[in-house]
Amino acid sequence: MPDTTNRLRRRLLAGGAGALAAGGLGTFGRAALAQASTIELPMANGKRNIVAYPEKRPLIVLTSRPPQLETPFEVYNDGLITPNDAFFVRYHNAGIPPEIDGDKHVIRIGGNAVGKPFQLTMAELRTQFKPIEVIAVNQCSGNSRGHFSPRVTGGQLSNGAMGNARWVGVPLKDVLARAELKNSARQVTFDGLDFALLGGGDFVKSLDVNHAMDGEVMLAYQMNGAEIPFLNGYPVKLIVPGYYGTYWVKHLSEIQVVDQVYEGFWMKPAYRVPDNDCACVDPGTTPAATRPIGRFTVRSFITSVQDGARLRAGQQTVVRGIAFDGGQGIREVAYSTDGGQIWRVAKLGQDMGRYSFREFTFAFSPAPGNHDLRVRAWNRSGQSQAMEALWQPAGYMRNVVESVKVTAA
Amino acid sequence: MNCKAFIVAKVSALVVCASATGLSGAKSITLPPDGVQLTASALPGYAKAQANCVACHSAEYMVYQPPNAPRPYWDAMVKRMKMVFNAPVDDADMPAIVDYLVKTYGNEQAK
Repeated sequence: MPDTTNRLRRRLLAGGAGALAAGGLGTFGRAALAQASTIELPMANGKRNIVAYPEKRPLIVLTSRPPQLETPFEVYNDGLITPNDAFFVRYHNAGIPPEIDGDKHVIRIGGNAVGKPFQLTMAELRTQFKPIEVIAVNQCSGNSRGHFSPRVTGGQLSNGAMGNARWVGVPLKDVLARAELKNSARQVTFDGLDFALLGGGDFVKSLDVNHAMDGEVMLAYQMNGAEIPFLNGYPVKLIVPGYYGTYWVKHLSEIQVVDQVYEGFWMKPAYRVPDNDCACVDPGTTPAATRPIGRFTVRSFITSVQDGARLRAGQQTVVRGIAFDGGQGIREVAYSTDGGQIWRVAKLGQDMGRYSFREFTFAFSPAPGNHDLRVRAWNRSGQSQAMEALWQPAGYMRNVVESVKVTAA
Repeated sequence: MNCKAFIVAKVSALVVCASATGLSGAKSITLPPDGVQLTASALPGYAKAQANCVACHSAEYMVYQPPNAPRPYWDAMVKRMKMVFNAPVDDADMPAIVDYLVKTYGNEQAK
């Protein structure tokens, strides 16, 4: 794949200029430059292929079939919006329609708790409702699962199953209003064109009806000013701001309002977290009760310096990164350059909305030697990140304060 | 979506059948081939895993699991594939498949 290799190399070199200016290409950058077709993620058994899928630049392949693709981490330093061709991909079943006609695609709205079932074409969705726009992070429930200790089974992701995009679409509330919901309405289920190969385990998700009707959950047909890439859900995708990506159903084709709690496989037993305040249990133990996964926890990442980077001693570097949460908005990011002993307040960048990545920066003039950089964010309701990693058997919701170790000389 | 009839015909050809047919307004997709294969083994479960597991999904699902994954995990996954996803795995083949998986990718690998 010489073409793929060259494009990745050019991109890394172009993107690497900023990283070099900010203090050096870390271990990831060097490894990728040396051999662009694979990457060694920082976990045991972490070797991955890097392959360009349709409409995508070369991304880290978690699985080939169905595709699960992870964004190379340096992309998050290129800007606060994750480009469509770099946005992560996560399918659950290998039944992916080989072709979707965006003009002929229809969404069926029905279920036993609507008075008037109906169908909606894409043209009707675009023209008969007032569009809304939101910048919102989508993050896989299992983002960073490969960093759990002790390790847990499942998709062994590093930190690249998240992205921030500008979504344009129609509030689900306005669409459902046409269906004349009955008082018995309890949940709304969502199904897409992707399907289970042998009929069992079709990917269907549900939201409580009050959540579905909150005016923020939307049917998006545009992502960052363009059509949604096929592998991200063309031509229409459910957007559930602040909630883990499992609810963001792709190729949305069927919405049912139902009079009971939906308990298909992907709602129960899959995608459940311990039903307690921390959504955590002692490592190796089983939760007594579980609930469906919900909103993102607070996270923050340094993006301009990679773990293992070498910096020039005595020279000031502006360290940059991103923070986000489940929808309160980021209030503050603190940073430490000594492994968490002394904390100072980082400078926040432009507020692009409470569901978006928020940039932070701080100046750092390293003395010669080793430094352990850490960042910790708080949202507007005072929630923050765990200083020591929380654990749960499914490996969801990781939000520990990250450590980036650098050496200055 | 439930497209059982469609996929019974297409299952073996999914990777290659996704070529463009050129309808206007339609977006078609051709996915790259699998990037990882099952590790060859003299264990009897290897051939059974080839026949039963990678027919529906690529090998990274097994190959990339953490090396501490214990036998009960592999056993639960094989059973899930049958019970939830309707994988046509013969009950008599399950122990051999689980044995291959845990000894090749799990915590019973030869050190």
